[in-house]
Amino acid sequence: MRVLKLILFTALLPVFAAAKEYKASLFGILSDGVTNNTRSIQKAIDFIHEQGGGQLVFYVGRYVTGGVQLKSNVTIKLEEGAVLVGAPSVYDYNSSGRIRAIISADGQQNIGISGKGVIEGNALSLMANVAVLQQNGYLRSQDFVRPALMGFTNCSNIKIDSVNLWNGSGKAQVFDACSDVVVETVNISSKQVGGTGGIRLLASKNVLIKDTFIDVALQPYIEGSKNNQSIRVDRAIDPAGKLLSVSE
Amino acid sequence: MRRKNVFLAILLSGLSLMAAAKDYSAVSFGAKKDGMSLNSAIIQGAIDYIHEQGGGRLVFDEGKYLTGTIFLKSNVTLHLKKGAVLLGSVNPFDYEKNKYIGWTSMIFAIKQDNIGITGEGMIDGRGFLTAVNMVGNIQKGLVTDPLKYDRPNETNRPQNIYFRECTNVRITGVTLKDPASWNQTYDQCRNLYVDSIHVDSKSYWNNDGIDVVDCDSVVIKNSYFDAADDVICFKSHDATKICQNVIVDNCTGRSSANGLKFGTVSRGGFRNFKVTNLKIIDTYRSAITFAAVDGGFVENIEVDGVRSINTGNVIYLRIGDRWSNGKQPYMKNVRISNVYAEVPATKPDAGYSYEGPIEDLPRNISPASIIGLPQYKIQDVTLKNIEIVYPGGGNPHYARRGLTRAELESIPEMPTAYPEFSQFKELPAWGFYVRHATGIRFENITLRAKESDYRPAIVFDDVQQASFNKVNVAEPAAKSKKQVFLHNTTRSK
Repeated sequence: MRVLKLILFTALLPVFAAAKEYKASLFGILSDGVTNNTRSIQKAIDFIHEQGGGQLVFYVGRYVTGGVQLKSNVTIKLEEGAVLVGAPSVYDYNSSGRIRAIISADGQQNIGISGKGVIEGNALSLMANVAVLQQNGYLRSQDFVRPALMGFTNCSNIKIDSVNLWNGSGKAQVFDACSDVVVETVNISSKQVGGTGGIRLLASKNVLIKDTFIDVALQPYIEGSKNNQSIRVDRAIDPAGKLLSVSE
Repeated sequence: MRRKNVFLAILLSGLSLMAAAKDYSAVSFGAKKDGMSLNSAIIQGAIDYIHEQGGGRLVFDEGKYLTGTIFLKSNVTLHLKKGAVLLGSVNPFDYEKNKYIGWTSMIFAIKQDNIGITGEGMIDGRGFLTAVNMVGNIQKGLVTDPLKYDRPNETNRPQNIYFRECTNVRITGVTLKDPASWNQTYDQCRNLYVDSIHVDSKSYWNNDGIDVVDCDSVVIKNSYFDAADDVICFKSHDATKICQNVIVDNCTGRSSANGLKFGTVSRGGFRNFKVTNLKIIDTYRSAITFAAVDGGFVENIEVDGVRSINTGNVIYLRIGDRWSNGKQPYMKNVRISNVYAEVPATKPDAGYSYEGPIEDLPRNISPASIIGLPQYKIQDVTLKNIEIVYPGGGNPHYARRGLTRAELESIPEMPTAYPEFSQFKELPAWGFYVRHATGIRFENITLRAKESDYRPAIVFDDVQQASFNKVNVAEPAAKSKKQVFLHNTTRSK
């Protein structure tokens, strides 16, 4: 029954994948690796959401951003060579939703991130910034929350596929109270700094993690909780090729 | 007028409470001064931190700090050292249109106390590029804007500073350059102190110098303003509020609109102003213009010491009736003294960016004017020690307004029109025109025309209690022309 539901859900995905495409440049989003695009990307997401949904497409280039919030019926497509680079200041993540992350979403449906591009956490720069702020006494260590690469709260119908999730300073993916989630062909590698994590699932249900590679500092690579339901891990491996399962 | 000294004393004592607080460097919060890295979130983080610590100065050393919208908080001063530039992002999406105020700005402060922007550095809004990028977004359909006059609405374009309902505000030393809308607005603030600032504001439409809206206890001094639109501008947006207790001293203005202006929005009122040592140069419209056109009042205004050079008009006082909503506008007890002015034959702001629009033609050089409405007369205006040099040369074949009853009374009242000195097109005097007023006193007034003009120097129409004491007129080849023409006018002793 559980499997049937997942199959049904997966079959529905192409419906919104075929939605209208919006190129990032339409919103003045710049691929120069310098310009902070946070508010332009947010504007793009809001606009596409208001238009009824679609795909925000990034082609090859480096797109710096702080925390942006995904909205219902919007998917981000990172084409091969496109890199979403996390901004190097902790303050740049004050624009996140409930979970501090480069991409977050709260209470949204039919959302996704796909493509062969990269979400680059920029952990070295970020942790260097944190060190300076702590040295100057501006940031107490207990107040610092490492931003995740993506973090979703109370969302449903999420598909994350094909993307490379690199150099996070915290978790790569956090799903809190989410349902109908597919993580597929995702490559997670966060080894620049210590304390990095893979996937965290809290109070979520109908989650499929499939064909995924995880190489991070902290075990367990896929962290679960007792109140998850219907979690399935299908061919997720660590760097040694060992099959991973979800912890409780 | 004596009460002004009292309010000045109160004002200065209030300001001295802001003692030297702790300094924090912007760079120490991770701000980058490369002109490329966007610092909005970092500067905001720094302001929040300093505010939470009880206050202090956020200090910007030499360098270019790119930023979008930030919100200043109580007890925090942004201190821009010499060579430090807060550089406005040219991405319109980096700015917020604040819902409470209904306006867009780089630096906001709302309901905060003891705040300031100080130092010898600069805020450069780069507004032209931001505005042009905004037009692009509108044309692409990303943003909704009627594009009236083919420009985004001024409330959507970011200006440099918008402070609302703040107390004890200090703006000193800084240069404020190139916003995309007005430049700096202080709205319903109390104890505003502006000293030694330099404003270079002519990058886009509606670039003002300074806008003081419904504020109480204001000092503006030792400052230079160069703006595409009005330079030293007082407004009253709220019919229940008043712009009052204001000192303007030792300021210079250059404008492609007006110099010292009250209005245009004038719903509440303006009272208790003392303006001294004002210099207006290369200004397209009026050096001094007070408008009560939206039901508000203008009362107890003293202007003493004005040099108006290469400026299109010297004085324009106007009561109109645009949207008074039952309120009765009035203007009374205005005293303007010690003025020397030169009005050119050519366009005063020629060659400046965003030159003032050529309009209300055909007309010969417009006179200084005091023009009320039949039911709302401008009251008790004293003009003393005033010399105005005009080009003269008014040509009746180009534009003509004669002195017959029919011609004088055919000048339209235009109660709902936007008030500008040129709005009536040709007026029947070359030096001074007064209509619908009472208690107008001319003391030691000299009007010179460089060339002969077909009109008399002075025309009064529907004026009661006019008085003239030492009025000198010089015009080449005037022969026996009667230079003071009174129509429906009574003189007091």
